[in-house]
Amino acid sequence: MIVTEGRTSQENIAQTGAERRLSASALITLLLGAAGLALVIVGTFLVIVLRGLVPYERVVEGLLSSETLWILITSLVLGTVAIIGGFGRYGRMPTKRSREQAIAGAVLGIQAVVLAAVLLLFREVGDPDRFVFHFFNIEFLQGSGGVFVRAARNTLILALVGELGGIVLGLLLAMLVLSKRAVVRAPARLYINFFRGTPLIWQLSVFYFGLSLGLGIRPEIALGPIEFGPAYVSAMIVFILNTGAYASEVFRAGIQSIERGQMEAARSLGMTYPQAMRHAIVPQAFRRVIPPLMNEFVILIKDTSLIVVLGLAASEFDLFTQAREGYATTFNATFFTAAAVGYLAVTLPLIRAVNAVEKRLRSGLVTVTS
Amino acid sequence: MSPPLLRLEGVHKWFGENHVLRGIDLEVVPQEVLAVIGPSGSGKSTLLRTMNLLEEPTEGRVWFEDTELTDVRTDINEVRTHLGIVFQAFNLFPHKTASQNIILALDKVLGLGEREARERAMQELRHVGLEHKADEHPGRLSGGQQQRVAIARALAMRPKVMLFDEVTSALDPELIQEVLDVMKRLADEGMTMVVVTHEMGFAREAANKMLFMDEGEIVLKGDPRAMFDRPEHPRLRQFLSRIL
Repeated sequence: MIVTEGRTSQENIAQTGAERRLSASALITLLLGAAGLALVIVGTFLVIVLRGLVPYERVVEGLLSSETLWILITSLVLGTVAIIGGFGRYGRMPTKRSREQAIAGAVLGIQAVVLAAVLLLFREVGDPDRFVFHFFNIEFLQGSGGVFVRAARNTLILALVGELGGIVLGLLLAMLVLSKRAVVRAPARLYINFFRGTPLIWQLSVFYFGLSLGLGIRPEIALGPIEFGPAYVSAMIVFILNTGAYASEVFRAGIQSIERGQMEAARSLGMTYPQAMRHAIVPQAFRRVIPPLMNEFVILIKDTSLIVVLGLAASEFDLFTQAREGYATTFNATFFTAAAVGYLAVTLPLIRAVNAVEKRLRSGLVTVTS
Repeated sequence: MSPPLLRLEGVHKWFGENHVLRGIDLEVVPQEVLAVIGPSGSGKSTLLRTMNLLEEPTEGRVWFEDTELTDVRTDINEVRTHLGIVFQAFNLFPHKTASQNIILALDKVLGLGEREARERAMQELRHVGLEHKADEHPGRLSGGQQQRVAIARALAMRPKVMLFDEVTSALDPELIQEVLDVMKRLADEGMTMVVVTHEMGFAREAANKMLFMDEGEIVLKGDPRAMFDRPEHPRLRQFLSRIL
């Protein structure tokens, strides 16, 4: 630390006037690029939102307004200046820091120019009225808030049941697959490969129709006041069976990643194989598979949308089925936009959490503290 | 002479095409401290690991007291509680504290109550001078401390024989002595030990018998001091000249 500071101050002392001017221009380039990008994103957004989103014509007016035009042109200019300044001079920058500033400014400038150009093109050549009418027509959503919340709940219940059941089933299957006996491994392997090898949409259809039509079984479940019929319950079961197959592969890899010495140490103390697994191996493996299991969960949340092919009751609709229902009755795609917002509201925090957990695991903190 | 604790008879081990042990006959009697030396790849570790059946001999038989380990009907888990082993890589359970590492098998294998297991764990940690580290996870201990916890974990089972598999080879030089001191004291207390080691000083001072292995065979067996001071066998002389 001290050494670095020393070197920096020496550099500063040694800098000539020309070098100081270059360093300053790098910082200006960075600010120009950042300002261009911020302007095109925040400025356009504010101009539109401040006029109001309902009715949709307001949004179109906002897009076509002269304020927006000036914002876009200013962004184009700022971005272009940053690109020319940054790329033209980064090679001559006297310090690493100023070189990085110049490059970052130029790259931000490219982003600002591209975004502003696309919006300008859309405004001048495209058909904003038609586009906004179909995709950002909040009026159509009015009164659907309740059903979308219910749909989000149904999506989450399905994904949670599938993930938790799948983890239990997956751990069991992993134990079978890791057996030294081929007769134990074979049926588990067959199961896993079948569920990994056929489309989820096929599994959902065949399981539901096979169960209800072929076998005459119509399972129903009530979770407190919420009641789910045969289609939804069949889907729950299929998501458990399918997630189990994928989770078992995650667990198998996690268990195999634990050093052989751990099993040897446990067995040498007189523990049986199941005891060693239960107390020494699986607890360590579980920590390692948390990130891939969370990734599976994110995938599962999105895959629940496949239940759209089953005949669900309106109260069982998931986010996507709800959106399609809205579209089918109004021919307006804003419902799909709303569904995307719903999915992202759940998946984005999860994706962040996965990254945080991975970082923590990589730094080795987990093995020490918990 | 008292009957042997461990007995190996005609033990061969193949790893695929690799003939690692080539007909080992060996007895370990009570209170014997047997050092096993030899070049790397000579089969020392494999020999040690057949003694608690971590490696199953391809051929031949292994006894602990009157129990034949190589008999499939033998309850190997029960026998292993009498044979403590310490590994080169420590192999402590990283998700458990030092004391939990020791308590686990006392609880699950010996079925000791919570209090008794805890007391015995603390007693063994005291024995290796690490009572104050009882609640630390292995990741927070030095290599030498981890290895001493591993020794305490094995000792807590009250084994009749302790097996040491190159237990100082993974340690920084300045941490080796603290582990050797613990082992030396154990030997002085009369523990029966089989020690695969590269520490020639330890073999000379602490062992009362020594094996020199090469290419899967026991080349020489005898008194460690005599073997070090007057190495008559050419292969032993060659080995010692290379490491000393």
